[in-house]
Amino acid sequence: MSSTAAAGRTIQIHDPTLRDGHHAVRHQLDADQLRGYAEAANAAGIPVVEVGHGNGLGASSLQVGRALLSDDEMLSTVREALTTSKMAVFMLPGWGTVRDLDNAVAHGVDLVRIGTHCTEGDLAERHLQHLRDAGVEAHAVLLMSHMATPERLGEECARLVGFGASGVGIMDSSGHYLPGDVTERITAMRAAVDVPVMFHGHNNLGMAVANSVAAADAGADILDACARGFGAGAGNTQLEVLVPVLDRIGYRTGIDLYKLLDAADLAERDLMKAPPAVDSIAIVSGLAGVFSGFKTRVIDVSAREGVDPRDVFFALGRLQAVAGQEDLIVDVAQTMAKAAAENAPERVSA
Amino acid sequence: MKRAGRLSAAVLGAGLIGVDLADKIMHSDVLDLGLVVGRDGANAGLRQATRLGMPIADRGIRSLVEVDEPFDVVFDATNAVAHAEHAEQLAPFGTMLVDLTPSRAGQMVVPTVNGASAVGNSDVSMVTCGGQAAIPVLHAITCEHRVDYVEVVTTAATLSVGHGTRINLDEYVDTTQDAVRTFTGVGDVKAILNISPARPPATFRVAMSMLGSGFREDSVRDLAEGVAKELREFVGGFVVSACSVQEERAFVAVEVMASGERLPRYAGNLDIINSAALSVAERYADDRRSIARAEAS
Repeated sequence: MSSTAAAGRTIQIHDPTLRDGHHAVRHQLDADQLRGYAEAANAAGIPVVEVGHGNGLGASSLQVGRALLSDDEMLSTVREALTTSKMAVFMLPGWGTVRDLDNAVAHGVDLVRIGTHCTEGDLAERHLQHLRDAGVEAHAVLLMSHMATPERLGEECARLVGFGASGVGIMDSSGHYLPGDVTERITAMRAAVDVPVMFHGHNNLGMAVANSVAAADAGADILDACARGFGAGAGNTQLEVLVPVLDRIGYRTGIDLYKLLDAADLAERDLMKAPPAVDSIAIVSGLAGVFSGFKTRVIDVSAREGVDPRDVFFALGRLQAVAGQEDLIVDVAQTMAKAAAENAPERVSA
Repeated sequence: MKRAGRLSAAVLGAGLIGVDLADKIMHSDVLDLGLVVGRDGANAGLRQATRLGMPIADRGIRSLVEVDEPFDVVFDATNAVAHAEHAEQLAPFGTMLVDLTPSRAGQMVVPTVNGASAVGNSDVSMVTCGGQAAIPVLHAITCEHRVDYVEVVTTAATLSVGHGTRINLDEYVDTTQDAVRTFTGVGDVKAILNISPARPPATFRVAMSMLGSGFREDSVRDLAEGVAKELREFVGGFVVSACSVQEERAFVAVEVMASGERLPRYAGNLDIINSAALSVAERYADDRRSIARAEAS
């Protein structure tokens, strides 16, 4: 099967296994794990390998989880392992600062992604300008993008290019999209900017590969995917599925299939207890439109407060909680526990 | 025009912070609002100030320097990068400069903790909105408990965060961290800022996590509630919204609803830093007034 839209067009695969995957293991990957996977990805010819705490540079915290390794340790380990693949990092303004960016540049990072909530692109203005002035390739990424209209995403992307972004993209941080949603959004972004356009999927509703194909067909140039889907919540788009699927449609990725499958096998063996699954919590988080990375905290806090984690996800969805607002989980769970206690049938005293 | 016994005040910067601050000064018993200064007469903030009956000027710092009689108090509500130049230009006039940008230039003041130390300083830093909400609580808890690590996560509604703050995120983080270190004596501090896009807008909120030892639920909650009560004296909408304590970890979240007629309820970030800035200036005015009285008698 091949499509005329594809016609041999090259899609750049960007692999955040060693960044987004951190959400699935509470940011506890060690240096051997990072090195092993980075070497395997490099050998497979994956063009870009992203590394870091799940929420990016400078994000190790009680709020979202403390990482086992420092940013310095992660970056120097992966830099050494990558001989041909580019090394990428991610940073959220308000979490990391220009100091963290300069530190990553000193470690030899090739590509920096600056992320903001999908309607708050101007938070990245100074960081994108700083990277442009430093001569470092900088892309801008809009998180939780299901919360904005296609038109708004197009406007944000145009603004981000004005700040100096040499690529723009959206994340389906909640795994909420269906393919038609992605087509509309990528089409609007493609029309708004001339720089490469990126899509980053999550698999909460089992749609990550289909959504990524829809993005490519609508003109996306860069697709994110992780080995075994290793990532927040139900996981990301599964890398070793996406690459051959793109190939069958007629897109090129330049990735060696067997070495890619080897890298994915290594990831399953060395990075995770079990590959991500579309479990009940993941489905609810996708339906509620809540950031997949909330999963481990919601489970912990719900158990402590004695409430149903699914209710917590829907309540967070109603509050329109966005990535980084993990502190709301305690309030929501405590409010529910209190309401449940007040509504419990009164005990009849003898 | 200056009324008897009052100090003249000007607000530099006509963004979200500047216009609300000017409004608060209009209601002050000891300050007279002399001028709201922007850089562009077409600016929405200056137009709003005009509608509210405030005197305006549109030539930035020059509007404050090229005056016949210098202002007693100037509030800098521009941005952190511009503040140093403003301080330099105003230095010859003996003006008290109250800095609402996260520049870290002047003496940091949190009214309920070290309000007295503002008097006599020509450049006073109001830290950050998150700092104003967190530091009183953290100061109280660290006085009673051993704390080794503090984390402060601020969430402000997107509509309450103007351009100056948006381009000052790094300064916001650095200044909040510095101030928490200074006021609590805890060396290991992390500050984070989230902007919430929710509609209706989310109420301004600061979540504090602490690692230490010997935390007790009743003690931490009582300390936080005690501080909230004290702060409500000048920031009416300050409440403790969550408290969760384990032996070695404590979590306290506070929310600030803006009070008054003009600000939307969610914009507690503007209310708390502006109310704190106003209280610092009023304290200075009272001080000047008692000195004047003493000299007259």
